[in-house]
Amino acid sequence: MAKSVIPIGPYHPLQEEPEFFTLTVDGETVVDIDVNIGYNHRGIEKLSELKTFDQSTFVIERICGICSTSHPFAYTRAVEDIIPVEVPERAKYIRTTIAEGERVHSHLLWLGLAGHFLGYNTVYMWVWKLREEILDVMEILSGNRNNYAIFKPGGVRRDFNPDDIPLALRKIDSIVPTLNKLKKAIIDDPVLHARLKGIGILTREDALDYCALGPTSRASGVAKDVRKDAPYGAYDQVDWDMIVTQNGDVFEKVVVRVLEVFESIKIMKQCLMNLPPGEIDLNIKNIPPGEGIGAHEAPRGETFHYVRSDGTNRPARHKVRAPTFMNLPTCKSTVIGETISDATIILASVDPCYCCTERMAVRTSEGKRIYGGQDLIRLSQEKTQRIRRKMGIK
Amino acid sequence: MKLPKVRELSEAVKALLSKPYTSKFPKKPHQPYHNFRGQPIYNQEKCVGCLACEEVCPVEAIAHEDQVDPANPMRIMIHYTDTCIFCGSCEAACIADNEGIKLSTEWDLAFFDRKASQETIEKELQLCEICGQPIACKDHLKWIAEKIGELTYSSPTLYLTRLKSLGIVDENLISASRDYGRSDRVKILCARCRRESTLSTSTK
Repeated sequence: MAKSVIPIGPYHPLQEEPEFFTLTVDGETVVDIDVNIGYNHRGIEKLSELKTFDQSTFVIERICGICSTSHPFAYTRAVEDIIPVEVPERAKYIRTTIAEGERVHSHLLWLGLAGHFLGYNTVYMWVWKLREEILDVMEILSGNRNNYAIFKPGGVRRDFNPDDIPLALRKIDSIVPTLNKLKKAIIDDPVLHARLKGIGILTREDALDYCALGPTSRASGVAKDVRKDAPYGAYDQVDWDMIVTQNGDVFEKVVVRVLEVFESIKIMKQCLMNLPPGEIDLNIKNIPPGEGIGAHEAPRGETFHYVRSDGTNRPARHKVRAPTFMNLPTCKSTVIGETISDATIILASVDPCYCCTERMAVRTSEGKRIYGGQDLIRLSQEKTQRIRRKMGIK
Repeated sequence: MKLPKVRELSEAVKALLSKPYTSKFPKKPHQPYHNFRGQPIYNQEKCVGCLACEEVCPVEAIAHEDQVDPANPMRIMIHYTDTCIFCGSCEAACIADNEGIKLSTEWDLAFFDRKASQETIEKELQLCEICGQPIACKDHLKWIAEKIGELTYSSPTLYLTRLKSLGIVDENLISASRDYGRSDRVKILCARCRRESTLSTSTK
């Protein structure tokens, strides 16, 4: 039987790394996959070099709509590394709270989308409703649902108002019972077990070889987390656990993310309750010449920034390495040998922005047939339905 | 026969009795939280027209236009809502106790005409008495004079502005015609003309 090639991509309007997957399929089975990136040059690094250190934070914040804390966090740490300075305690706690809030909403967003891909639209609706509550918390604390504009080299821009904290804590508490119910529903669901267990396995060795990061590596038994390995912010002052599971299949990745949401909520609550008094900003005036690096454990893995200063008020060089760059190539080890209907959720399981599937087409030797993102989702949802029917669940 | 599940039944009854999660938007506009970062709004009274907000704005959403008309010199401060990212840098950098421009909770900023997205205020401009170029807004010079106290009297530009605003010196007083001499020093001057009058050897 003739092999077909399924191109997915290449233009990706939302994420910082437009990706182009070429799936070579033999019937239903994927026999080869290739990833190409670099189709969309946004010139963010150059733009950052044209702004002052203070203004760059806002450009960096807009690299990704969901990681609008992770990039500024890593960037400000890189700039502080040049001088070097320690930010005030209160600023550390504020930064940690915002970073964890982002992790909660990012994981919930991914969970909702994963539910949608699998045909669990109830999960999708419920999870996104819960996410609204977290976004409200962020609005109460920082003034906006996304793009918090709170990071600044040397501290934070806005202080938390003590009067708002009880309301924020109440809102965070209000989602925990529903999240618990959801956790049970997802982790104990027999259909999800049948659908997700054992597919897209990323072994521990492969995770290490591909340098996978974040939940992708932690699901494969690699205990790797910047927050634990090289603590920064308030992460060494609050009590939390790193979630590590062993199997590395898609189900474990779901489990890691769901459990991490609870850990993040734990960190957020501890930070808000033990907010130390004091200054929030060092008011840095000059950045001396030098180099600095900053890392932050973003929801998808370690974000890494390098900044070089030549003594002026603008960065001389700014380099960004986002976690998806490391996580994407793992599809070489996870997707090959699986079916197209599973490829959707396996590729989604590293948590890239999935708009790329909207631009997918199937090319065959006999003629052209167009597969859109909708078709991929339909294929994936149909497989879940088949498993349900087989198990006698309506 | 399959019995209805009690949990699902109670869920259905609850859903019937509870009100909808979504709000009736056009009827009941969304109320943001009090520290929501919305449209920045100029305060005509407090703003001194110093352009600090324009300097720090990361997206260049703030601009100014100087109308150098001797009869009515004006500085127009323009804020472009369509470019603004509502980061609050302008408020943080405002020299007038952070009250010259302030973020409001206004969020419904849709417009049909792009011109409607511009917010402007006018500040009275002080022109150099010799060359007629703008020096700063009158309010800005007054603000500096108040900040530095008695040191104001080391600079004729500052103390003349202050005395005029206090009504001690006639506001409509127009100094004698330009001569680039030493006598020019007691005038409201821009930096260039002050230097030239200082270096001048003329004793007119």
